[in-house]
Amino acid sequence: MKKLTLALSALAAVFGAASAKAEVSVSGSGSVGYTAPAGTDADGFVTVGQFVSFGLSTTTASGMTISGGMGLSNTPTVNNGQAVSGGKTLTFASGGASLTIGDVEAADTPGSVGGLVGDEIDDEGGFDSDVATGFADDDGLGFKFSTAVGASSLTLTYVGNDDFDNSGALQSDAAGDNSVVSVGVSVPMGAYTVNVGMASVDGTTESSAGASVSAALGGGTLTVGYSQQTLDESEKDTAAVYSFASATATVRSQETAAGEGDLSADGDTTVYGATYSMALDADTAFAVGYQSAKDADNDSTTQFDATLSRALGGGASVFLEMRSLSGDAATDGTAVALGSRVSF
Amino acid sequence: MLKSLISLVLVLFVTSCSQGIMGGNIEKNLEATDKIYGRCDNPYRSMTNVEKEICRGKVAAAGPDGKIDDPISLNDIFDRFNNPNKNIVYGGLSVNQYLWQGSLFVLENYPLQTVDSQGGFISTDWIISKDDPSRRCQIKINVISQDLISTGVKTKLICQEKDNDQWYPDNTILVEEEKKITLTILEKAQELSNLADLS
Repeated sequence: MKKLTLALSALAAVFGAASAKAEVSVSGSGSVGYTAPAGTDADGFVTVGQFVSFGLSTTTASGMTISGGMGLSNTPTVNNGQAVSGGKTLTFASGGASLTIGDVEAADTPGSVGGLVGDEIDDEGGFDSDVATGFADDDGLGFKFSTAVGASSLTLTYVGNDDFDNSGALQSDAAGDNSVVSVGVSVPMGAYTVNVGMASVDGTTESSAGASVSAALGGGTLTVGYSQQTLDESEKDTAAVYSFASATATVRSQETAAGEGDLSADGDTTVYGATYSMALDADTAFAVGYQSAKDADNDSTTQFDATLSRALGGGASVFLEMRSLSGDAATDGTAVALGSRVSF
Repeated sequence: MLKSLISLVLVLFVTSCSQGIMGGNIEKNLEATDKIYGRCDNPYRSMTNVEKEICRGKVAAAGPDGKIDDPISLNDIFDRFNNPNKNIVYGGLSVNQYLWQGSLFVLENYPLQTVDSQGGFISTDWIISKDDPSRRCQIKINVISQDLISTGVKTKLICQEKDNDQWYPDNTILVEEEKKITLTILEKAQELSNLADLS
């Protein structure tokens, strides 16, 4: 109790006597595109989406910024997929640190690099890999703390209950309510930047660790990473069934068989990857990514991504993206998407 | 374990009010990691899915230089297509605005070929008189000062004459005409400056 009182007194001193500046902002984006998905005889389709975000922020007299927000969306990957989202976090930020409380997401695939394409291909490209990656559930009610340690960055995420988002008990004893912890550190070391992370789920055998190294090379940035994820087969089964039962809108992507996810044995998934991004000129960005993954079932895939984006001025841009997937996959091949994004 | 974690985070947060541990600045560090992950996919930032999508739109619109340019104007494109010799540059004004506006006022009855507010340079297209179609002239004005001074603008007249369908410089020196144009610009600039002072 005394520790809690001291903590509250310290927080009151940090907040200061009164708010100095409050702000409500609105921003948005839209996109339209055409996707030619992978798979033989797959039909190409047009996608349109829009997103609006209402940002709320205020600055206290001591200079701390408190912010939140909500959003409206019509995602391009779901037909008639309008939704209201957000309002589930509040972020307190100062010059040296930020603390987000509410619905936070743990970094469960540290060191995993290589995926670059947008949702038009990532969700709608028609791919169905047999390789299992990532924890069954990595987000929920908790907090995320980031601080600067000199030139390094440290992020600690604690998900106290992965079955709730903004209202629930932390460290619940109810069956299926797990907690997730992840830590990430970014350290600049001369010409390189090293990122190291680890994560684990309390109540299951899921854990992960990984690292990536980035360096400026030939006018662009090269990042190479390695990730090892220990996954729980029974947790993956649960996730696959849940996504089927909760679907209420038309989903274009193919689903795996209900009841059994992509994993049939507990064990490690290893992911090797690399990305290279560069600017072709002041308005054109180009990036390529490579990723090789293998899970405990000995299923393995190789993925190659390429993206090209050009700014047109006035908030508009055009994009051309491609993904090629090969290996153990119910649907592999190449998907291409091109279209335009607009920022408002 | 949870209580210890919360206590540790609160202590670190309170001690990081103005700057992080060892003098770190979180926003500066985030900008450095943005260059590796991209701003929208930076795991050290907190964003909702909607904010990430909007972020992607903004980053794509800004391009690698991080600036959102003025929109492309179809009028400009068609104008350049129809007038390939036309060279119009629109930019921020970096010379004295009254001298600039005075120059535009003096040349308002002539077609303009180059208008460069950054460099302070205006040139008309070739001016041909119906009475003497074998002769043409061009007016070039260079505003060289950010202050309203008599030496802040220079005028040059260039004339050519036609011979066998070819245009050649006629080497005419038109000092008096150039002086008259310069004086008119200065008078107009002074008038505009006086009006601005009154308002």
